[in-house]
Amino acid sequence: MSKYMTFPEVVFKDRDLLIAAIEEIGCKDIRQGVNLDMGRYYSEQLEQKVEIVIPRGSIGNRYGDIGFARTENGEYRPVMDDLDRSRALNGQFIPKLRAAYNERVIAKVATKLRGTVHRTVEGGVVKIKIRY
Amino acid sequence: MPEINFTIDTQTGEMEMKVEGVQGPQCADIAKLVKELLGSPEREENTKEFYARPSVKPQIQNKKV
Repeated sequence: MSKYMTFPEVVFKDRDLLIAAIEEIGCKDIRQGVNLDMGRYYSEQLEQKVEIVIPRGSIGNRYGDIGFARTENGEYRPVMDDLDRSRALNGQFIPKLRAAYNERVIAKVATKLRGTVHRTVEGGVVKIKIRY
Repeated sequence: MPEINFTIDTQTGEMEMKVEGVQGPQCADIAKLVKELLGSPEREENTKEFYARPSVKPQIQNKKV
């Protein structure tokens, strides 16, 4: 059944880093604002108010838009159709977005510490060292 | 030289962080900075270095006579 779901375990705190990460993984056409409506393409998809919208069909999300809702704490949580979870970026949307966001967090930390960054990839693991 | 080691699992996008070479609660400042951008971690442990006291050598100067 097609329905919008929130992922409470996935949290993004910084809006700018989130936008940059979304663009980095291939979503160039995004809408930003306050209380934006996510599209309702199936009767089971309930109304969702979000701050960032990746339109339906952008990255394999054929069942609905992908949104990011802002919580009371100012954090952003993804909202997407249950059936798009395994389709958006071939089921890699959340992992890729988290990885891209985390790399941007590391870059920001390195800048604040005025540190040097050394990045390597070993198998499925990205290793980043900041020295300062 | 202090360093922070991050590992990101590309299968899940999950990240781990380890602060090395920083004695005492100074590393908590770094953790705070990262938490501001990432939120509270699933798991957090202090290393032995956290409990180590930074060594301070007293300097004694002879009075010039």
